Amino acid sequence: MTPNTRSDDLHAAVRRFAAGDRTRSFADLALEIAVFQRELSPGFARLCAGRRASLTSVDHIPGVPSDAFRLARVALHPPTEDRLRFYTSGTTSGARGLHAMRVTETYHELALHFGRAALLSNQRPHHVVALAPLLDEPPTSSLGHMMAMFMVDFAKRGAFEVRTPERWLIDDRGLNVAGLERAAAQAAQRDETLLVLATSFALVGLLDALAGRALPLPAGAVVMQTGGFKGKTREIEPGELRTSVAQAFGIEEPQIVSEYGMTELTSQLYEATVPGSALARERQGAPGVYAEPPWLRVVPVDPVNLEPVPNEEVGIARIVDLGNVDSAVAIQTQDRVRRVEGGIMLLGRAAGAPPRGCSLAIEEFMAGGAR
Amino acid sequence: MSDFEFEARRARLEPLLESARSLGDGATERGRLARERLIASSGLSAQGVDFALQRCLEIAPDEREIAALIRSTPQAQVAHVLLSANVFVAAHRAIAIALAASGQVRVRASRREPEMAELLLAGAPGSFQLVKELSPHSGDRVWAYGSDQTMDEIAVTLPAGVALHAHGSGFGVAVLDGPHSDRELSELLTALAEDITLFDQRGCLSPRVILVNAPPAFAAELARELARELAELEQRIPRGQLTVPELSEISKYRDTAQFTGEVFEAGLGFVTLGQTSGWLLPPSGRNVHVLVTPDVIETLTPYRPLLTSCAFAGAPARREQLRRALPGARVCAFGEMQRPPFDGPVDRREL
Repeated sequence: MTPNTRSDDLHAAVRRFAAGDRTRSFADLALEIAVFQRELSPGFARLCAGRRASLTSVDHIPGVPSDAFRLARVALHPPTEDRLRFYTSGTTSGARGLHAMRVTETYHELALHFGRAALLSNQRPHHVVALAPLLDEPPTSSLGHMMAMFMVDFAKRGAFEVRTPERWLIDDRGLNVAGLERAAAQAAQRDETLLVLATSFALVGLLDALAGRALPLPAGAVVMQTGGFKGKTREIEPGELRTSVAQAFGIEEPQIVSEYGMTELTSQLYEATVPGSALARERQGAPGVYAEPPWLRVVPVDPVNLEPVPNEEVGIARIVDLGNVDSAVAIQTQDRVRRVEGGIMLLGRAAGAPPRGCSLAIEEFMAGGAR
Repeated sequence: MSDFEFEARRARLEPLLESARSLGDGATERGRLARERLIASSGLSAQGVDFALQRCLEIAPDEREIAALIRSTPQAQVAHVLLSANVFVAAHRAIAIALAASGQVRVRASRREPEMAELLLAGAPGSFQLVKELSPHSGDRVWAYGSDQTMDEIAVTLPAGVALHAHGSGFGVAVLDGPHSDRELSELLTALAEDITLFDQRGCLSPRVILVNAPPAFAAELARELARELAELEQRIPRGQLTVPELSEISKYRDTAQFTGEVFEAGLGFVTLGQTSGWLLPPSGRNVHVLVTPDVIETLTPYRPLLTSCAFAGAPARREQLRRALPGARVCAFGEMQRPPFDGPVDRREL
């Protein structure tokens, strides 16, 4: 069996698992993918050897640090077989991390499956716009690519061109507030549900642009926010941002849902708050609690010895994502998390070692990482 | 500068130099007290504090260096100094520069490491003032040392007419170029291990990356040998206390290096070898990354604003090229990174 055949089989098994087939367990699949990656990735083999990992327990699959994507190619296949290439933001050296995908179907199916469950509050077509710059071609941002997928899939009218200024509401002149107002009117007129996809800093930019003015969205509209601020704008505490956005749009706070994703992952986590959504019906989540899809597990680990911490204790997130068949099934992040009822509570990024004296801190050197 | 003014400035330095001299010797009461207090405040081991005082405290600077320090320091009505933590010997040079600038010197020590400034003042009473907050006025100068974030914060709060000499974050590199005999190489690595060990790499002069213009197999051998040197030195000079965030950074660095290259245990720290051209900046705590490159200057160019120190071993002509390419970094020999000439700020990036 060739590596690609094995990979294809694993992809198919993961997609079946995502569709509800439980003939193979999460643990079986995760460990089989990890063993496959150890065989084909010298880097992962070294990491396993260094950590003396036997790959017999999901909780002990060594996580590949997200920094590794910036320094080396984290892929089992050669670049000639890449079908999607997503890049992280840059660093001091200009180096960007790359997550290369050989099989796109798994990414698409997994993202859509959980996106639909988390974001769609009803069966009607959704009109989706993004407070984001126009998606590049080919797409290099995993977030932008996911937004484009949602625009097409949630509209429920087959394929259409999404690369239009009416859909992507940030351009050289800044935030297109009038464009958002037009989208709101159009959704209402067509009796579609409006879904606004945005980064946190774009929402802060929108609030600044509105300067206290309201921009009412149609009833039932949903706002998906993601990501941090990365120094691009003033920072607002998440709860305050949610309240301010809800007030500006004239919607209820549960209609604002946070997503957690990284370029290095295939899958995403969401808050289970959107009224009427499948995820909210199933998990009844609270704001700040991120629900994992069944094919992804967050393992909070001790920041020093990287061993799993007892339940409900704070650790840093090691994320086991079955979608990462051809890259790294376990990713070690620096995000502080705690397992709670209904999912994972995100507590912010672990502060790098604060610089003592004038020694350059890693945080100052590495400006990139997250999507 | 007139001879009279030069002599006046020189005279202001003498009590401070004498105070530092009396701290260097661990057999004296002041030397013993300094060690006791610095162990508690710095987080370094007892041996680490003693090693730093013995190797890095400028107790007998050359008169030519002192003259250079005086002549390169601009005059100020009042000289203010904001000290950083941990590289405690830096307080001596920082205060000396301020004394060269003015007869009125006000020093705000780091809250985490106030000891060295107090110890220096105790041995040179009245030569400068220790203050809780700096309050400069127009015509004054401020010499500030610390993280870039601290420098940014200070820059926006100073009144108009106050000159700021900001010395922010940085790091050092070592460059091994050209052929060396086994004996030379062994001596170089012994010296470099000392550069890495001093202050547990918490200073901006500490080497964090070693660039080698040599075949990969040679670089691997070098990394292994350096790890052995560091482990040996750790037996004599144990690493100090690290915080959880520092230890966490080390775990992340080790695993990243493991995935992207090779890792050699070096006592409690690590020497890592890159298999790609990407930079991996190790966290402090006696960790160093070895990078193979055919063109050292090109590799260093993107990091020029961050480089404060560069140890070089190789042909004099190549050293000169490096010096020209890195005007803000002090280019020196292996083993000399942590004790640059006493001729002005260790950080020359603003020059």
